[in-house]
Amino acid sequence: MDPGGRRQGRKQRLGGDVVAETWSKQVQTGSLNFDDQGVDLKRRRGRALEQFEQHGFPGRKHEEWRYTPLSRLAAGPCAPLLERSQEIAFCPDLPVDMLAKVVIVNGEFRADLSDLSRLPSAIRVQSLAQLRHSDPDQLASLLDLYWTQDSHPFYDLSDALLDDGVHIEVVEEGAKIDAPIHILHVLDGQARSGSAHVTGLIQLAAGAQLQLIEEIRSAGEVLGNLRWGIGLDPRSILKRVRAFRPECSSIFHGTRVIQQQDSRFEDLFCSSGAELIRNELHVSHEGTGCHCDLMGAYAGCGKDHLDHHTTIDHKVEDCTSNEIYRGVLSGQARGVFSGMIHVHQDAQRTDAKQSNDTILLSEGAEADTRPRLEIYADDVKCTHGATIGELDEDAIFYLRSRGVSPDEARKILVRAFTSEVFHGLEDRQLSDFIADEIQQSINPDGTNHE
Amino acid sequence: MLEIHGLCASVEGTEILRGIDLEVKAGEVHAIMGPNGSGKSTLANVLAGREEYLVDAGTVQYNGIDLLELSADERACEGIFLAFQYPVSIPGISNAYFLRSALNAIRRYRDESEIDAVDFLELVRSRMDLVGMDEKLLHRAVNDGFSGGEKKRNEILQMAVLDPNLAILDETDSGLDIDALRIVAEGVNKLRKKERAIIVVTHYQRLLDYIVPDHVHVLSEGKIVRSGDKSLALELEKEGYSWIQADDARAGNNA
Repeated sequence: MDPGGRRQGRKQRLGGDVVAETWSKQVQTGSLNFDDQGVDLKRRRGRALEQFEQHGFPGRKHEEWRYTPLSRLAAGPCAPLLERSQEIAFCPDLPVDMLAKVVIVNGEFRADLSDLSRLPSAIRVQSLAQLRHSDPDQLASLLDLYWTQDSHPFYDLSDALLDDGVHIEVVEEGAKIDAPIHILHVLDGQARSGSAHVTGLIQLAAGAQLQLIEEIRSAGEVLGNLRWGIGLDPRSILKRVRAFRPECSSIFHGTRVIQQQDSRFEDLFCSSGAELIRNELHVSHEGTGCHCDLMGAYAGCGKDHLDHHTTIDHKVEDCTSNEIYRGVLSGQARGVFSGMIHVHQDAQRTDAKQSNDTILLSEGAEADTRPRLEIYADDVKCTHGATIGELDEDAIFYLRSRGVSPDEARKILVRAFTSEVFHGLEDRQLSDFIADEIQQSINPDGTNHE
Repeated sequence: MLEIHGLCASVEGTEILRGIDLEVKAGEVHAIMGPNGSGKSTLANVLAGREEYLVDAGTVQYNGIDLLELSADERACEGIFLAFQYPVSIPGISNAYFLRSALNAIRRYRDESEIDAVDFLELVRSRMDLVGMDEKLLHRAVNDGFSGGEKKRNEILQMAVLDPNLAILDETDSGLDIDALRIVAEGVNKLRKKERAIIVVTHYQRLLDYIVPDHVHVLSEGKIVRSGDKSLALELEKEGYSWIQADDARAGNNA
């Protein structure tokens, strides 16, 4: 957060902040009782609630939030927490062989719907609620590691309403977990609108390898506030795919990654349509020889708002990063990309690449892109670039001359444009699935979701 | 199969075709020759339905239907195929995906069921042999990083898979060395059949050594100024285009 914005935060909060009032009242009167055991956890919760009460959801004049329309959230339809213990009717499977499945429904880790039976002993998966009760001090110190207590509306909410989520640890050094773990968030606000707040923590031991596929499915008017803290010990490798299709909901998805020496983080973010989605990603290279791939493909139509904020902190020497975000916008959809690469003074021989390309399919669509480089070391290779354009008319004619209708031709070209981002994905079925999802979410005439 | 009468077309306000008359029957191979700027490629693109080219006058009947009423994709579904002079590269989708999408679009148009991945691969493999194409190209992005020869071969592969009634080859020989030219031409020859008509648009006679035409037409300033058999092409090769233009100019002066 930029200090200027924070200083003025109070003035710029959105008016009529029903959300903050509702929650603080509930916590104070004890109707929301989290039964904290640890002192640190209690303190963290109290402080976060205070901060959220004070700042609320930031308004448009706040630099970091100027493109993100939060006014609807502040008006309060998502103020209550989503009801727990609902039966869920939809739980579609991805076409991928999974090692385990973690299902989180309306913010609650559901042991009954999850499948952890095939997990090897090298990996431990438990609900965050479990950790919160069994070892609140460890939880508090993990939270401190990833989230400082600077004011941030969604992280504050996550702290203030901290309840459940998942804690994944690969404890055995060098353990290679081949098949991915599927994490499915179900947000069901059909009966009553509301919000869910989920915290996930991941820790990989030295040399360990893990793959995750995270999915969000939602129905009704919901706010999903999800965050991940990821710690990668030396030489470990985490591959994560996020395949989101949250449709009419609002999603905040934040990730903080701390990478130690020679570790590798490969992230692929794919979202096809959401009323509001803000994807915040912060990667910190703390040891030499780290690498991260931050890939993103997003498609929006109707009045979707797709917002991506990434920061890579190159703190030490000989680290590399590669970031490509590609968006396709139709209707009156808006895409935002704000990517910061921060090369610290000691980070000599950093090699950082960043690009954001957007295709606009309609006149009403809008893209705002802000690639940013801050370099304080002198021996570095950094490139960044951004383009905003339209589909290639020659390619459309080429497809049409082969019998493909104009609408389908555009869809195929959207697929071509976005799928370059997940070229590297080894699992062909998964990459086809993602490509299909994105392709299907595009409405060439640019009006609405199909 | 194809009857063109008095076809006039322009692009961005410039008149390019000035009254073309041409009749092509099933089983025939017609060569359209002419100097640069004579309108050869325009004719090919107008027939394929490129929207930048405006038809100002004339009619085109194709198997009894008014071709000019159809969009480019409808024409393809009706069996018209244009092999591009400059095939477009599309990074991000494989040749196989591209071809299967095209084939299925045509099959849907004809109320046929879509072809599945297995049958499709079998079909494509059998056609790849025709043009001597490496199967690796099937899994590469469409024309992306292809050599000139590979691109043109890819066009002929598409023709072989989509199985058109009328194929228009727009300067298929341009940018090819003699070996590549021979391979592409052999591919085309294997695709000659009595139900299919082929129009070969070319500047040079050398392609016609390999794809021997039944009829040769010379286009100059948007009109067909000579028609004949394959010997006309040889004459052109010997004399160049200048005599045609000179002849033409004289004819113009006399009129």
